[in-house]
Amino acid sequence: MNTLNVQLFDLTTLLFGGASGTFIAAMYGKKETLARIGTWICVAAAIVSTAALGVRWVESYKMGIGRIPVTNLYESLVFFAWSVNLFYLFVEWKYKDRSFGAFVIPIAFLTMVFAFTNESGIQPLVPALQSYWLHAHVITCFVGYAAFAVSAGVAVMYLLKARQEKAKAKDGIVARFPSSKVLDDLVYRAIIWGFPFLTAGIITGAAWANYAWGTYWSWDPKETWSLIVWLVYAAFLHARITRGWHGRRAAILSIVGFLSTVMCYLGVNLVLSGLHSYGG
Amino acid sequence: METVSDVRTDSASIPAVEKRERAKPASTRIWNFLISVKLAIWIIIVLAVTSILGTVIEQNQPPEKYHQVYEDWAYNLLDRFNLFDMYHSWWFLLLLCLFTINLTCCTIDRLPRVIRTVRKPKSILDEATEKSLSLTERWKSKGDIPRRMEDYKAALAREFAAPKVTEADGVVHLYAEKGVYSRFGAYATHAGIVIVFIGAILGNVFGFKSYVNIPDGKEASHLDARGGKEHIDLPFSVRNNRFWLETYPDGTPKKYASDLSVMENGREVLRKTITVNDPLAYKGVWFYQSSYGQEDGATAQVAVSRQDGTPVRNLSLVPNEPVRIDGYGVVRGVNYEQDFQGKGPALQVVVEKPGRPASDLWILQGRPDLDRVRKDSLVFSFEGLTAKMYTGLQVAKDPGVNVVWLGCLLLTAGMMVSFFVSHTRIWIRLSPGLHGKMEVTAAGSANRNRSAFEKTFASVLAAVRKDTSNTDKENPA
Ligand code: HEM
Repeated sequence: MNTLNVQLFDLTTLLFGGASGTFIAAMYGKKETLARIGTWICVAAAIVSTAALGVRWVESYKMGIGRIPVTNLYESLVFFAWSVNLFYLFVEWKYKDRSFGAFVIPIAFLTMVFAFTNESGIQPLVPALQSYWLHAHVITCFVGYAAFAVSAGVAVMYLLKARQEKAKAKDGIVARFPSSKVLDDLVYRAIIWGFPFLTAGIITGAAWANYAWGTYWSWDPKETWSLIVWLVYAAFLHARITRGWHGRRAAILSIVGFLSTVMCYLGVNLVLSGLHSYGG
Repeated sequence: METVSDVRTDSASIPAVEKRERAKPASTRIWNFLISVKLAIWIIIVLAVTSILGTVIEQNQPPEKYHQVYEDWAYNLLDRFNLFDMYHSWWFLLLLCLFTINLTCCTIDRLPRVIRTVRKPKSILDEATEKSLSLTERWKSKGDIPRRMEDYKAALAREFAAPKVTEADGVVHLYAEKGVYSRFGAYATHAGIVIVFIGAILGNVFGFKSYVNIPDGKEASHLDARGGKEHIDLPFSVRNNRFWLETYPDGTPKKYASDLSVMENGREVLRKTITVNDPLAYKGVWFYQSSYGQEDGATAQVAVSRQDGTPVRNLSLVPNEPVRIDGYGVVRGVNYEQDFQGKGPALQVVVEKPGRPASDLWILQGRPDLDRVRKDSLVFSFEGLTAKMYTGLQVAKDPGVNVVWLGCLLLTAGMMVSFFVSHTRIWIRLSPGLHGKMEVTAAGSANRNRSAFEKTFASVLAAVRKDTSNTDKENPA
C-alpha cells in the first residue's frame, strides 16, 4: 500500500495525462472549451502535486527522517513535473494562449509516468546529502530544467508554425498557434529564465561539493554535463544577441539544449557513472 | 534593432566587410579574429563537445583498467591525446586560455564604447536619431518654450526619470533614461567568468588537496598528497579524539562524525566535531569528514580472574605483543577466528611461564568459564575484539575559493541585470512652430522587452501631456 503522498502523485499523473489528452484533442478538434478544461485540469494538478509535496515532507518528518522532498530520482522527477506545470500555467496566463499546452504538458506527463516506474519510498538521507546547499542546488537546477523544457516545447511549435507560414497555408492545428514571432520570442524568454537558474544550480552544487569534500569542481560526469548544458545555452544567447540568430536556428539550438539537459539529468545516471548516482 | 549608440553590432558578419578585411594588415586581422563573437561561439561549442569525451571515457583510472577496456591501438591513441586526463591536458587548457583571451579582447574592444555612450548619452533628439527610432509621437502645444520647458521637465521627472536639458538655437531637448547600468550586465558576467578562472588558478598554485587517516586517539601533521607524489607537513597537528557513526533504524548510515582537536605546540587550540558537510577550518586548512575504517590489528579484550572467580585484571592484547602478568608469566594473543570449530569467535593465546615450555590455548567468546578446566592459577576469558577506528579526512587548502565565489556572484548578478533590466530612454524635443505654437516631438527606445516599453512609453506620454495641458489652463500663456 502506497502512502498518501504517492497516491496524490499518482493522481497528479492521471491529471497530467488527462490534460495532455484534452489539450491535444482541443488542438485537433479546434474546441476552445476543451482547451479551457485542460487548463483547469492543470490547475487541479498544480494543487494536488503541491499538496503531495507537502504531505511527503510531513511524512518524512513522521518517519524521523525529516527532509525536503527533492533528494532522490523519484522526488526530483515529480519536482521537475511540478515546475514544468507551474511554468506552463504562468506562460498561458501571460500570453493568454492555450495552444502551448499540447506541447508542454505531455513533457510533465511523461516525466510522471517515468517517475511512476521508480522507487517511490521515502529513503533516509545519507550523510553526504544532508546539506542546505543540496536543497538550493536541486531546486534551482530543476526550475532551470523546467524553463528549458518549456522553451524546447515552444521551439517545436515554432518550427511547425514557421513551415506553415512559409507555405502560406492557413489550415489545420498549426494555424491556431500564436504567430512565429511570438513563439520565437518565447523560446528566448524561457531560456533567459532558465539560464540564471541553471547557473545558480551549478554554483550551489559547487558550494555543496566544497562543503562536503573540499573541491568545488572535480569534473565528474554530472558536473561536466551541467557545464555542457550551460555552454549550449550560452552559445544560444550569443548567437542570438550578437549574430542575430532568430527563428529556425535558435529553435533548433533550444531543442539541442533541452536534449543535453535530459542527458545531464537522466542520461548520466542511466548511462555513465559518477558521484551523483542517487539521481539529484 | 536599435541604431542609436548600438553597441551590439558584430561587423565581421557582413560580406563586404570581410572583403575589406583581407586588405588590412595581419595585426588588425588577428585582433578582429580575437574580438569576434563568432570565435566565442566556436570555442564554446568546441568546449561543450570535447567535454563530452571526458564523460564517456572514464578519467584518471589506472592503466590496467584501460587495458581491460581498450585495444592496444585505441589505448595508445587516446593516451596520445591525453584523453584519460583530458581536463588537465595541454589542449584543453589551451582552449580555456583562448576562451579567456577572446573574452578579454572583446571586452577591451567594446567596453570603452559602452562607457562612452553611458557617460555621454545622446541627449539631443536630432533628425537622424529621430528617424532611427520606431517609437515616436508628435503634438502641438501652446506657450513659449523656455517657460513650458519647466512643466515638461517636472512631468517627465515624475512619470519616468529626471531629464537632462539641452538648449540649442531655441530648441529644447529633454532626455531621460532608466536602467542604464544594464549595459554593463554582460561585462559583469564576463568579468565574473574571468575571476572564477583566476580563483581556480590561485587554488591550484597556492593550495593543495590531500588526505589523512587518523586512528582514534592519535594525531597527525603529515599528509599524503593526492596521487601519493609529495608529502605535506602542516605547522600544527590534528588529533582525532574519537570517530563514530550513527545509523537510521534500518541500518543506513545517518551520520559520520569525528571529534577533532587542533594541536599547536602541544596545546589544544581548537576543538570541533566535524561531520560530512560540516568541516573544520584552521589557518586556511580545511578538514572534511570523508571516510572511515577499522585499523588493522584489532585488540583482543581478555578478562583474567582467579579460579574462585575474583577478577585480577583486563588485558588488551595487540596481535603478537607480549603482555607480562607479574608472578605468572607472559601472555600473547596470536590468532583469532571468527567461528572456531562452529563455536563462535575465539582467540588463540600463547602462555609462557618462566622455565616452562610455551603452551597455547583457544579461548571462546561464548564460553567464559571454559578455561577453568585447565586448572591453572589464572583463568582467561575472551570478551571480544575491539577494532580501533580511524577517521579518513580530506584535507584541502584553497586560497582561491573565495575569489571563485566572488566571480560566481558577479556573473549571476550580471546575468540577471542584463536579462531583466532594460535600458529605456525617452527624448522630448520642444521646437518653435507656426502661429506661436510649440511643436513637441517625443521618442523612446529600449534595449530589451520593447513591447513592455511601448506601453510604458504610451502611458508616460499620456501623463506628461495631461500634466502639461493642465498647467496650460492654470496659467494660460
Ligand atoms: C560561457 C561563457 C559566457 C557566458 C556565460 C556569457 C554570458 C553573457 C551574457 C549573459 C550576456 C548578455 C546577453 C544578453 O544581454 O542577452 C552576454 C553578452 C555578450 N557576450 Fe558573453 N558570455 C560568455 C562568453 C563570451 C565570450 C567568450 C565572448 C567573447 C567575445 C562574449 C561576448 C559577448 C558579447 C559581445 C555580448 C554582448 C554584449 C552587449 O550586451 O553589448 N561572451 N554574454
